[in-house]
Order: sequence, then C-alpha cells, then structure tokens
Amino acid sequence: MGAIITLSLLGILVLYLGLYKAKSLLLPVTMLGLVVALGFEISAWNKGVSPIYNGMVLFDNFALAFSILCIVITGLILFLSKEYFRAISNNVAEYYCLILFSLTGALMVCSYHNLAMLFIGIEVMSVALYILVGIRKTDFASNEAALKYFLMGAFSTGFLLFGITLLYGATGTFDITGIKNYLIDNPTALSPLFYGGILLLLVGLLFKVGAAPFHFWTPDVYDGAPILITSYMSTVVKVASFAGFIKLFSYVFSPLQDFWTPILLLIIVITLFVGNITALMQSSFKRMLAYSSISHAGYMLFAIISLGANANSSILTYGFAYSLASVAAFAGLILVKRSHGSDQFVAFDGLGKTNPLLALVITVSMLSLAGIPLTAGFIGKFMLFRSAMADYHIILLALAVVNAAIGVYYYLRVVVHMYFYPSITGEDTVAVPTSFNVVLILTLLLTVLIGIYPNCVISLL
Amino acid sequence: MGIFYFVAFLSIFFALMTIFTKNPVHSVLYLVITFFTFTIHYILLNAQFLAVVNFIVYMGAIMVLFLFVLMLLNLNKDTEPMKSTVVKVMGAIAGMCLLATFLGAFRVLEGQNEFVTGNTDVGLVKNLGKVLFDEFLLPFELSSILLLTAMVGAILLAKKETKEG
Repeated sequence: MGAIITLSLLGILVLYLGLYKAKSLLLPVTMLGLVVALGFEISAWNKGVSPIYNGMVLFDNFALAFSILCIVITGLILFLSKEYFRAISNNVAEYYCLILFSLTGALMVCSYHNLAMLFIGIEVMSVALYILVGIRKTDFASNEAALKYFLMGAFSTGFLLFGITLLYGATGTFDITGIKNYLIDNPTALSPLFYGGILLLLVGLLFKVGAAPFHFWTPDVYDGAPILITSYMSTVVKVASFAGFIKLFSYVFSPLQDFWTPILLLIIVITLFVGNITALMQSSFKRMLAYSSISHAGYMLFAIISLGANANSSILTYGFAYSLASVAAFAGLILVKRSHGSDQFVAFDGLGKTNPLLALVITVSMLSLAGIPLTAGFIGKFMLFRSAMADYHIILLALAVVNAAIGVYYYLRVVVHMYFYPSITGEDTVAVPTSFNVVLILTLLLTVLIGIYPNCVISLL
Repeated sequence: MGIFYFVAFLSIFFALMTIFTKNPVHSVLYLVITFFTFTIHYILLNAQFLAVVNFIVYMGAIMVLFLFVLMLLNLNKDTEPMKSTVVKVMGAIAGMCLLATFLGAFRVLEGQNEFVTGNTDVGLVKNLGKVLFDEFLLPFELSSILLLTAMVGAILLAKKETKEG
C-alpha cells in the first residue's frame, strides 16, 4: 500500500513542480519517488498473507513481484524521457504526472482482491493513457490514435463492468475469495448469470491485453502514439493487465476450466497467426513491433490455459524478458528516428558499422523477442511451452512453434538491415546520449543475465 | 402495479419514437423523455440515489451535450446517410439476434434470486453512504486519482501550446 500512496502523492508533487517551473527537478524527483515506492514493495516481501482494507487489496508475493516489474520498467522508460518530452511540448510536468498515475493504476491491477478495485485500477491506468497517446496535438496520427483508443477502450470497459455486474448478480459479492467459494459450494448448479459474466470479463480483459479478435486498435494506437508512450503501453500496461488476468482466472475461475479453456485456445491460435503474419508484411519497425506485441499477448495467454504451479513464475519471466527487450528496441528506435527521421527498416541500414553498441543492443533485444537461447526471451518461451506441453495441448504447441519460426524471420530482418546493408546517409553516426547508453547497457545485461541464470527470476514466485 | 405498466408503456413508446423520427434533434429530445421515464422506474424500485444520478447526469448533462454536438456540427437536418438495404437487413438480423438472446436469458433467469430481489432499502442514499464509506472506502478514495487524471488531461488537451524561448 505504501507504494500506491507514494506514487499518488508523487504525481501531485510533480504537478506542483511544474507549476513553479522547476523543470530540472522533475526527473530526479520522479526517479527518487520510484525508488522509494520500490523500497516499500521490497520491504513488504513475504509479509502479505491476508487481504487488507476490508478485503480490497492483497499484497502477496505475486502482486509485489509484478508491481516491482512495473516500477522498474517505468523507471527505465522515464530515464529515456529527459529530452524526449521537451521536444513535444512545454507541459512536461503533466506528462510525468500522468505516467505516474497510470503506474498507480497498474499497481492496483496487480494487487486487487476485489473486483471494484480491479475496475478502478484498469480505469486509472487507461484514462491516463488516453491522454498520453494524444499529447502531440498537431500530429494527425496521434490525434487519431487517441480518439480510437478512447472509443474502443470505453467500449471494452463497458463489457468489463457488465461482466462484473453479472458475477455480482450470481454470487452477491465483489470479493474474489467470495466468488471462488461460491464456485466451490455450487459445482453443478451455477447461475446462468455467472457464465455470461465470465464471457464479458474475458472480452474486456482480452481487449486490454490486445489479443485478437479484439486487437484492431493496437497497430494504429501503437503507431500513432509517441514512441516513449508506445513503449510504456506495450510493456507496463500489458504486464499489469496480464497480472490481473491470470489472478482472476487461476485463482477464481479455475474450477470452471472446462468452460473457458476452448474459447481461450481458439483466441490464442487466432492471435498468434494474426500477429505474426501481419508483422511479416510491415516495412516500418514501429508497426512491426506493434504487431509483434499482439503475438506476444498470444504467447502469454499460454500461461492462463495451462494453469499450474509454474504459471505465475513463467508469466513473470516472460513479462520481464519481453519488457526489457521492448524497452531496448524502442530506445533504439527513438535514436534512429531522431537522426534519420524515419521509422522504416531502411533507416537502420549500416547501423552495425556506425554505432556498434546500439546495433548490438538492438540485435540482442530482437533475439530475445524471437526466443533464441542465452537470452531472457528463450527462457520465457521455454517455460510457457513446457507448461502447455504438460497439459497435452500438442496441436497448440505445434502451431506456436510455427509462429515462433515466423517471428524469427521478421525479427532478424532488422538485424540484417543493420549489419549487411550499407548506410544510406554515409558514415553519420547516430548520437547516443548518456541516459540512453545507461538504459541500453542495463537492458542488455539483464536480458543476458536472465538468459544464463533464469533462477533469479523464476525462484521469486 | 398500474403505475408501473403505464410508465413502462411510456418508456417503450418514447424509445420507439427516438428511432422512428427523422430529425436528429427530435430524436435526442425523445431520448431525454425516455431517460425521464427510467428515473420514474428507479423511484418505483426505491432506488433514490440512482434516480437522482440518472436525472442529473444522464438526462441533464449527457443529453444536453448530445444536443450541443448536434447543433455545433449542424446535423439538425432530416438526413439519413446510411440507407442501403444491406445495412438495414444486417441491422434487422443483428437486432433479432439480440432479442432472441435476451428472451433466452430471461427464460433461464431465476426470478427469486435473493441478490436481485433481496434488500429493497439498499438503494436509499443513507444505506449507500454506509457501504461506500465503510466497506468500499479504499476504492472510493482511489477513484479520486481517476478524477484528478481526467482533470489534468482535459486541461492539458484543451490548453493552447505556448512555446517559451
């Protein structure tokens, strides 16, 4: 709870700093606040045994691990923001404030123990993002993305809320332990409202994680939003939504697995194929990452259909690997776009010669996204595939392997562009500021560390 | 029961009028009346709070916003842009599917669900306040962040960019 309070107050403090024109203080204060929040989360480790505040929130190790992941990734992204926001507009303080509020929402989604908290968490997280997507007021694509995200998001929230209402109608409680007890007490005579509630909740959550067939907003929104916000959306928001998703399905709805597993299986297959095949067609790096994030949502859904002892730790590992690689890739994209003014694959031509370090980091992140051994992405994919194997979803696994192979092709395309094509702009090097260097090297080290010694993350849960 | 059937008849009548009028402004006005009949339903169900919120927020704020948008965009003409038969047939099929789903749902619904019929006083403002400030205090407090976010965002998006230096 300390972290949620810290972040809410930090958001207000940042707004005041903006009011008094203390712009140079913004980033240090924000980072300090994130460190304090991180400290609160770490000090609560192993202590949350029962839900607090009338059963509203539960800070068990599951919630804390995902909260720590969200805070760390937000810290990395904010570290990149120093020059980025200033180029867009003058109201930098408000952007920091909105990102912090959105992070607060993500923390609520990670630690809810009552559906009312889940709803408020998702709303706080999304409303801040609707605005952040549209902060480039003069850019047509940004406006379109914001409007699209807002309309679709509002619609999906309606589904989520209706689902929660139907569950209440069937069980008479918003508490997830209460709903679970209802399921255990009435194994055969469930109210028909309950099934409707599960389906509507599923639609709402699948929208938030961007799985097909509810993915139509993803490419345009990720493409139109400023790159830094895109990296925030595709990492922190996605990981937090998955934490909420898996908590609901593994803890509450697991007795009804026979009902929702076939639906999820179908959705996973559609998501994997839609994400990968459309990613194959893209010529823009940013759009390719948007489609690849759809396919990663498909892989992460594996953990939900094969609920076991490892489900939580495998989704945490995958989320960690995916977030690190995405942050590195988006950081590289920001630098390349800043110097070449384009986010197409051709902009990366010759980067291997002019900027060996940057090219190396992008290569490792691409390998991690593709799931090549010795990177974190391999461990994540391995754990998810193994749990699916244990449940004998063999056809699903075969399809997933085909998709992973397709993924390797388009991830390596950017690597080929970096190392095997001559630079179009001659020998111009891409300027890399110190803050970017720190983030790039940090993500590189963490990706390789998890790839070589995965137990450091797996043993957490 | 007589009042209920009368108000229910009015609701359906005005809802149909909303769809069948050609003029968008008239359509919105009929929708306002439909919402007003809903408010009466809520009062009949002993849900004061819901009635007041419906009256102020939906009927007042949102519908007036609708009217303003219609007038600002100058849509108050008798035009129906989508008149193709395919759209009409598809709309009819989709509507019938929804109706069939609802009928099926009502058939299996148990009328004596205690959570639905249960405590008839729960909609009173006093009881709602007791629940909100006791059991649901944390979500209630945290929703202040939501309101603050929306406020910051609205100002941020509406404010004119001033480039200094």
